[in-house]
Amino acid sequence: MSRPAFSPEGVTFGVCLVALGVMGTLANLGRLELLPLLRTWWPLALVVWGVLELVDLWVRRSSPGRS
Amino acid sequence: MNARKIALLVLIVAFAASVETAWNVGGDMSLGPEGCRVMGGRFYGPSWAFETTAEREITAGVAPRLEIENSFGAVRVGKGAPGVVKVRLRKVVFLPTEEKASAFAERIELRLTGDGERVRVSTNRAELGRGEQTGFETHLEIEAPAETVAEVRNEHGRVELTGLAGADVASSFEGVEIAGVAGDVKLEARHGGVSVERVGGGLQLSVRHGDVSVSEVVGSSKLDVKHGSLGTRSTASLEIELAHGELTAASVGGDLVVRSQHAPVSASDVTGRTDIETSFGDVRLERVGGDVHTRVQHGKLTASDVSGGLNAETTHDGVELERVLGPVEVKVQHGGLEAKGLAAGARVQASGADVAIDGFAGKVDVEVERGSARLAPGGVLAAELIARATHGDIELDVPEGRGFELEAESRRGQVNAPLQGLDSSDDDRRRGQRVVGRHGTGGPSVRLTADGDVTLEPRPVRSLTLSAVQKPRAAANTTPEEPAAPMSPKPVVKPSPALPAEPKAPPQPEAPPEDPGKPGHTR
Repeated sequence: MSRPAFSPEGVTFGVCLVALGVMGTLANLGRLELLPLLRTWWPLALVVWGVLELVDLWVRRSSPGRS
Repeated sequence: MNARKIALLVLIVAFAASVETAWNVGGDMSLGPEGCRVMGGRFYGPSWAFETTAEREITAGVAPRLEIENSFGAVRVGKGAPGVVKVRLRKVVFLPTEEKASAFAERIELRLTGDGERVRVSTNRAELGRGEQTGFETHLEIEAPAETVAEVRNEHGRVELTGLAGADVASSFEGVEIAGVAGDVKLEARHGGVSVERVGGGLQLSVRHGDVSVSEVVGSSKLDVKHGSLGTRSTASLEIELAHGELTAASVGGDLVVRSQHAPVSASDVTGRTDIETSFGDVRLERVGGDVHTRVQHGKLTASDVSGGLNAETTHDGVELERVLGPVEVKVQHGGLEAKGLAAGARVQASGADVAIDGFAGKVDVEVERGSARLAPGGVLAAELIARATHGDIELDVPEGRGFELEAESRRGQVNAPLQGLDSSDDDRRRGQRVVGRHGTGGPSVRLTADGDVTLEPRPVRSLTLSAVQKPRAAANTTPEEPAAPMSPKPVVKPSPALPAEPKAPPQPEAPPEDPGKPGHTR
């Protein structure tokens, strides 16, 4: 069984890291306040992950040859 | 669900918990010197207090500038005898024994420098802090002549300032209280509550993470508050930026301009105009002497006793109006309008809810989508009336007396118009009905178009009582206690709503705005 090329949790983790890094940099530059932003928007990580899981499920079902 | 997914879920939840904890703790935690902890900006552990005092002469007849720099300790500045600045330093040293604390306290120096016009008060904390692991607080109590303008820079300590000629304060991690200042006040505060009252000049304030109370300010105020609520009472004109808090403004002797986010706004007794933009919070206005201009996203607007006109836009909630003397223009997305007593007509666009206007005069133009319109004039119909309702009905109360020219159409329902001179026709229509005609002696045009029923109900005539509109109460023209310095006269703008019922009372010009001097950005 080959390893799938696309992993929802891997993409989610990567996107979160990039977003966290960008927000941290902008906070250090004084462009935004990090804590209120994180407090408001952190559930988006779950939303992104859930959407990617659904996309992954849909791709697997529409490609019966793949595991 | 595999281990990677479980690990990521745990990671996200832990991250969210960390953010929430950090938010709740705020700036109340930090690491301190060895041997004592710093929590909430205070040292903990066994401590010993020692005092020292100093005095410095001031040049007679000169308004001195007092510069105070401190950290980890309170600063209290009050009015004292003329010609001299007196300073009392209370040193609190956090060490296990009194001998060690006394020896350390000997090394803490009170620095009182400057000439007769400029006096600087500080300590040698910066020098002692290098390489030291001992925690100590320096509390300053200062008496200065009433003509003094004080500049205070403090961290981790409360600031109290009373009875001076002016103040420029920057403080963090404790509260600030300023009262009885004859001139201008400038204040920056972080992580602490702020109280400012009895200011004879203007006020410029920037606060983060703390509630703010402002009262009895004679000059115009520019207030910037984030992550805290703001309450004002008896002020002149206000220009406010607010986020993640709540605004309550009472007795504003001038204009009220608010730009806010995630903030409900409540204002009463505003003698000038109000210009409010906010989101995710309701706006409530009572007794406004001038025009009202409001934009509310995801919030409701409630306004009563408006002596000027009203222009409002809201989304995802409705508008409630009561007794508006000027012309009204309202746009509501996903909400309706409920209004009573509109004296100068209205132009209304609404969607997703009903529009009801009980008692109006002047031209009225109502357009409502996915809702009905219910209109009841305050007297005889004397101006044009247009109403369109998509996916809804229209009801119009028709006062007895003067007639009108009617053009009413129901696309899918009936037109019920039991009035003289009106002919109905539904010829060549599979559904719907149209009524055109002159009622009584004729008069203004009334055009009603609805997908549902259109109903005209005869009603006894009644009069719109404009005198019931309450005017804003005047803001208290207060001055600080015993203003020793010559105050620049900056009178509170007198209430002068341009009431149509009282044309002999023209609006007075507003007091010239203060130098904006926007406070520096701090994080």
